[in-house]
Amino acid sequence: MTEPLLDVRNLSVDYLTEAGDVHVLSDVSFTVAQREFVGIVGESGCGKSTLLFAVAQLLTPPGELVGGEVVFHGRDMVGLTGAELRHLRWRDYSMVMQSAMNALNPMKSIAAQFKDTLEAHGTSSHDEIRQRSTEVLELVGIDPVHLGSYPHQLSGGMRQRAMIAMALLLTPQLVIMDEPTSALDVVAQQSLMTKIRELQQRLGFAVLFVTHDMSVVSRYSDRVMVMYAGQIAESAPTETIFERPLHPYTRGLMNAFPSISGPRREMAGIPGAPPDLARPPSGCRFHPRCPAVMDICPEQEPDLYVRDGAEVRCLLYADSAQPAVERETPAQEARP
Amino acid sequence: MSPETPAASAATAGDEPLVRTVELTKHFGLGGLFSRQVLHAVDDFDLTIAEREIVALVGESGSGKSTVARLLARLYTPTKGEIFYRGRSLRSLRSRKDMLWYRGEVPIVLQDPFSAFHPVFRISHGIMRNLALHRPDLSREERRAEAERVCEAVGLSPRMLSRFSYEMSGGERQRIGFAQALAVKPKLILADEPVSMLDVSIRAGVLNMMAGLRDREGVSLLYITHDLASARYVADRIVVMYAGHQVESGPTETVLSDPKHPYTQLLLSAVADPREKSSELSADTGEPPRVVNPSEGCRFRSRCPFAIEKCGQVTPRLEPIGEALVACHVAAAQGKAAGSSDTAPVTHT
Amino acid sequence: MAVSEALVDQPLDVEAAAAHGRFLRAVLRNRKAVAGALILFVMAFTAAFPGLIAPHSPTAALYGQNSPPSSAHLLGTTQLGQDVFSQLVWSTRLTLVVTLIVSAIATLISTVVGVTAAYLGGTTDRVLTVITDIFLILPVLPLLILLATYLPPGPTSLVIVLCITSWAFQARQLRSQGMTVRNREFLVAARARGERSIYIILVEIVPTMTSLLVASFLSLAVYVVGFAATLQFLGLGNSGELMWGTMLYNAQQASALEAGNAWWALSPGAAVALLGTGFALLNYAFDEIGNPALRPVRRRRRRDRASA
Repeated sequence: MTEPLLDVRNLSVDYLTEAGDVHVLSDVSFTVAQREFVGIVGESGCGKSTLLFAVAQLLTPPGELVGGEVVFHGRDMVGLTGAELRHLRWRDYSMVMQSAMNALNPMKSIAAQFKDTLEAHGTSSHDEIRQRSTEVLELVGIDPVHLGSYPHQLSGGMRQRAMIAMALLLTPQLVIMDEPTSALDVVAQQSLMTKIRELQQRLGFAVLFVTHDMSVVSRYSDRVMVMYAGQIAESAPTETIFERPLHPYTRGLMNAFPSISGPRREMAGIPGAPPDLARPPSGCRFHPRCPAVMDICPEQEPDLYVRDGAEVRCLLYADSAQPAVERETPAQEARP
Repeated sequence: MSPETPAASAATAGDEPLVRTVELTKHFGLGGLFSRQVLHAVDDFDLTIAEREIVALVGESGSGKSTVARLLARLYTPTKGEIFYRGRSLRSLRSRKDMLWYRGEVPIVLQDPFSAFHPVFRISHGIMRNLALHRPDLSREERRAEAERVCEAVGLSPRMLSRFSYEMSGGERQRIGFAQALAVKPKLILADEPVSMLDVSIRAGVLNMMAGLRDREGVSLLYITHDLASARYVADRIVVMYAGHQVESGPTETVLSDPKHPYTQLLLSAVADPREKSSELSADTGEPPRVVNPSEGCRFRSRCPFAIEKCGQVTPRLEPIGEALVACHVAAAQGKAAGSSDTAPVTHT
Repeated sequence: MAVSEALVDQPLDVEAAAAHGRFLRAVLRNRKAVAGALILFVMAFTAAFPGLIAPHSPTAALYGQNSPPSSAHLLGTTQLGQDVFSQLVWSTRLTLVVTLIVSAIATLISTVVGVTAAYLGGTTDRVLTVITDIFLILPVLPLLILLATYLPPGPTSLVIVLCITSWAFQARQLRSQGMTVRNREFLVAARARGERSIYIILVEIVPTMTSLLVASFLSLAVYVVGFAATLQFLGLGNSGELMWGTMLYNAQQASALEAGNAWWALSPGAAVALLGTGFALLNYAFDEIGNPALRPVRRRRRRDRASA
């Protein structure tokens, strides 16, 4: 069994506010294998962005990692110093942020920013820099003539592609993406996703992709994790989760997408709002909004149970024949 | 300006639609004093909205859809063209009284529920101001009662009225936005991307509420959106815009099941239904242009797989093809060749 | 409620939250606020009830001349035999009143000018900006000398002069803030409802700028306290009035330092500095309360949590 590229174990993050601690992430565990495209789906307040930041060791106060490990290539990143992290960053994993305009320096040309990154990681030869910069731009489908352009001179879609190019400069093994397509129009979104998938398969890096829009990952991801209220609600291979969503929240999300083809159905959405994570609901965090709520749900907190190739945090599936997922060992073992 | 109330002098003839725009155009000057750059946000836009109808205005960024909403809300004045409301041209509404009358008939609901409300006052502020401005005949108790009525009409408890905006979720705030619009007893609500900034699970509720407003309150809605799927869900008619032009419009099912304009087809293919298997994906990598000092011709031609020479020379006009109106030379030619009432869509080669 | 997003994306709402109820708690928790408030409270009390604090009359020239501090005269006496401490105490009232009046008037003018320019834009904006710029670059001292020859010396003239010379800077700041607010959706909504511009400026915009207005007021106060004293020290006030600045002037005229009476020469200056500090502390405190990002981050001890 190959070791997973990224193994997140029992990750917990709190936001320390004057009104008390807000439990933004509670005991989150998952793995990302090499070359795997994992989509993390959730709505506002579920903690998905915080999860990315915690994995990339970019949390700042008032956010604080209060428990768990982030094991990348066998090394726990949580305890690493700034210098050690800097060595890993960009070389082994890189990040693509939500808005290119926020991440790219508006005062510098694309070439200059690529150069900064390459030089910071040891490449100093002018020719090498030029060559690599041209290569990555071509990879993402931008004419290298734009090396001299400034971010504001590029269209929205091109800027996002430039960001992805920058993330690929040092051929990392894992690229973490925080909703890189949400600021784009529908058509540009789709073409960017296609390009990301193509690059991923060609260059062989893993992708951890956060989005609020399930449809964005439905065509591209290998696995989907649905997050709710700081926890993983369901995790399964993409096809499985779309064909047979188990968690009532996942089902609710699926039903919240009006269909473009097929018969017009009445949509229900999910009534209510995500909980206040300073005082999360007792037992299952989704129970106040759950259409399938049982008497036991406010009493007992569900673990992640395995069912038909999916992991689901719901007492509906708390079958004693299918034990909850254990995370004591580094590699996830296959369960019957 | 006649001394009668504007409502009385407005034509209410049977076949005059609620709203009719004729060659509506809006240009913005770019750059400084000596710049000759003109941004064409909307060009030659003809739209009709009937009573008790939801019309979806669909387009991506730069399509001009928000500009159309703001033109109809009189937040911008048209560069050219006219807007007729119940038969009266908006240009003729000059006095404050006329202007208030119009605003009381055609309110707008804005996109961002997180900044559309005054941060210091309670959420009832907008509703009460609307009542004070547009229904001054009501007494204090009547206003209070009306505020509660509109709150319930959008599915919220009247207790919400005493809350502050930061105490409410995005979905709740957006509903209050509609309540504000309802308070003036409108005929047409302009909804500028009302659900785009809401979580997916909340959108359904708001969209259902919008459909309910049409059915129960008899209000028409102009639903501005970039999302074809939600347009399909609530709208009776769809109007598709690209780069300031209207490219296709017609009854919802007609446009979506049988799109004739290549851009509509492209949009449709880009909308992923998470439940469907992946269908044919287009190879298009372009983006909508920023239309500055444009030349004649179809603005989609650079991305269109079917573009012919004429597309670069003559701006296509909206022509009826079947039940829809389409602005495309190629589609029009195919439509004529196939017969007058036959729908002959432009197909992928 | 999505806490993290709420804190980051909605600064105006946080301001509103501070204004409603959590305000007092925020003030009490902030050390700078407490210190500043304490200073100002002492000053206000002294201004209101000088008789309770000052043992003697400020003007009675009955005591030994230029005497050093003693139990009867905490700061000694002036050249004329007046009790310095009593003078200092009694001068608090007029100094504070002048400061507050000028700060209030100047803030009012700068608000009206700045926000109107920002909201109405176009020609109005250009005209108002030109006017603001003119007042900004007015050379103060020559202006003062000019005015001093025409205006009678005294607190009223001081108020006029200070108002004229201090409103312009804040007007630019308030205009900038107004420009950021002007396209906020709730203002577009107000316009769309049919509200008049005056209403929008006064009722919709100004209340959102309360923290900036308070900050303007406080920073003006700091400036005015010092500058008023300076002007009076230079002789542009009425030496008979009971203000710290005039005390400085009188001490200077009597060559108090050379005569060895440092207490008389320096204590008014110290009082000015203390009052200015009080305003400044409150200013920082309001910044921090209004914008949580500026608050000092108190790192909590990471409690050891056993991993599951």
